Amino acid sequence: MAVKFFGQYLLDQGAVTTELLLKAVELQDSVNLKFGATAQALNLVTESDVKRIHNAQRVEDALFGDMALKLGILNEEQIGQVLKHQQRSHLRIGEALVQVGALTAGDLPRLLEQFREDQALYTTSHTVIPAGVLHPEVWEFCADLSAKMLLRIVGLQCHVGDCVLVDRLAPGAFVAGVTLAGMVSASYHLAVPDELRNRIARALLLEDDVSGESEEVLEDTVLEFANIVCGNVAAKASQYGKRVEIRPPFALRPGSGGMAVPAECYGLFFPLHLADGGCAELTLFVRR
Amino acid sequence: MKKVVIADDSIASARHLEKIITGSGEFEVVAQARNGLEAIQMYRAHHPEIICMDMNMPGMDGITALRTLVALDKEVKVVMVTSLGGVGDKFTEALKLGAKAIVSKPFQPEDLLKALREL
Repeated sequence: MAVKFFGQYLLDQGAVTTELLLKAVELQDSVNLKFGATAQALNLVTESDVKRIHNAQRVEDALFGDMALKLGILNEEQIGQVLKHQQRSHLRIGEALVQVGALTAGDLPRLLEQFREDQALYTTSHTVIPAGVLHPEVWEFCADLSAKMLLRIVGLQCHVGDCVLVDRLAPGAFVAGVTLAGMVSASYHLAVPDELRNRIARALLLEDDVSGESEEVLEDTVLEFANIVCGNVAAKASQYGKRVEIRPPFALRPGSGGMAVPAECYGLFFPLHLADGGCAELTLFVRR
Repeated sequence: MKKVVIADDSIASARHLEKIITGSGEFEVVAQARNGLEAIQMYRAHHPEIICMDMNMPGMDGITALRTLVALDKEVKVVMVTSLGGVGDKFTEALKLGAKAIVSKPFQPEDLLKALREL
C-alpha cells in the first residue's frame, strides 16, 4: 500500500473501469485549465503575451505567473484573480467520475471516506520547518514519509526529531540521494547506519539473511528505499497541488570532512530516531 | 508459464520483483533490463507475454519505453511498477499510453500477482 490518488484507489478496488477513469480525466483536462489558459480566458493576457512568457520561460526556470509578474504583464492582484478562478472552477476527479456516469453522487461520499481510511497511514504529522524555506510542506512530507516507510517496509518504528539547519552532511555513513525537481529544487539525502541498511536489505530482497550480499546490492536497497520514499513524496505533494518530479537515485559517501551544503541551498537536517535505539539522518538541500 | 521481462534500474527492486513473480509458479522471468532501451531490446529478443517496468530509470525512462513498445505492438502488456503511481498525472499518462496496470511501490506481493493474473 502506497500513497495513492483517488482515481487509482477506485480502479484498484474495481469501483471504476480504466475507460471511465480516463474519460473523467479527459473531462478534468478540459475544465481545469492551466494558469496561462485561465489568464487568457479571463482576458488578462493576450496570445502574444503568452508566447512572450513561454519564450522567457525557456531561458529562465520560472512558473508562468512568476514570469508574467517579472515581465510586467500581470500584477499581483491579477495573479490572485487567476488563482481564485482556478480554485473555484476546479473539477475534482470524484466529481468528474460522477459527471461521466462512473459513480453516482450518492456513492461518492462513502468511497471518499473509504479512501481516507485506506490512506490514513500516510496522514502526515506536523514538523516545524525553519521560516523562509519555500514549500515547507514538501520537506515535512520527506521527513514524515521516510519515517512511515521505515515502518511500512522495514517494520521499524521511527520518530522524526526536530528540524535544524546545518551546513554539511556528516562524514562516514553511506548516503542515498534523490534529486527533486518540478516546482521545487532540492535533493534528498538519507544516511543510514549499517544495521539499518541490512534491515532495509532484508525487507527489500525478501531474504532472512543478507550477510552474503555484496556492498553494491546492500547499498542499492537503500537507494531503492529512498526512491520509494521520494516517489510517495511526489504523490503526496500532488494531492496539495505541488508538482514534484524525481530523478533516479544516486549514492554518496562523504569523506572525512563531510560534505558541504551548497551555498545556494538551505541544509535541513532531521534525525530519524529508530525504535531499536539507532538513528538515521535525513538531510535536504533546498534551494533558497 | 507466461514469460515476463523485468525492467528496473535497481538491482534490489528487480530481485524483489523476480522473487515474487517466479515464486508464484505461474510466471517465468526470461530477462531483466536496467533501462527503457534495454527493455525494448529484451522485448524484441524474448517476446514475453508481460513486461514489468519501472517509470523512473536513467537513460530512457519507463514512460518513453512504454510509448515505443505500444508503437511496436499495440497488444503489448506492460505493468508499470513504480513509486510514482500515486502521482495522478503520471498514473493517467501511463494508462493513456496503454499500460495495462500500474502497481505503486511499496506493494504487497499479492497486489502485483493480482495485476499479472488479470492480464
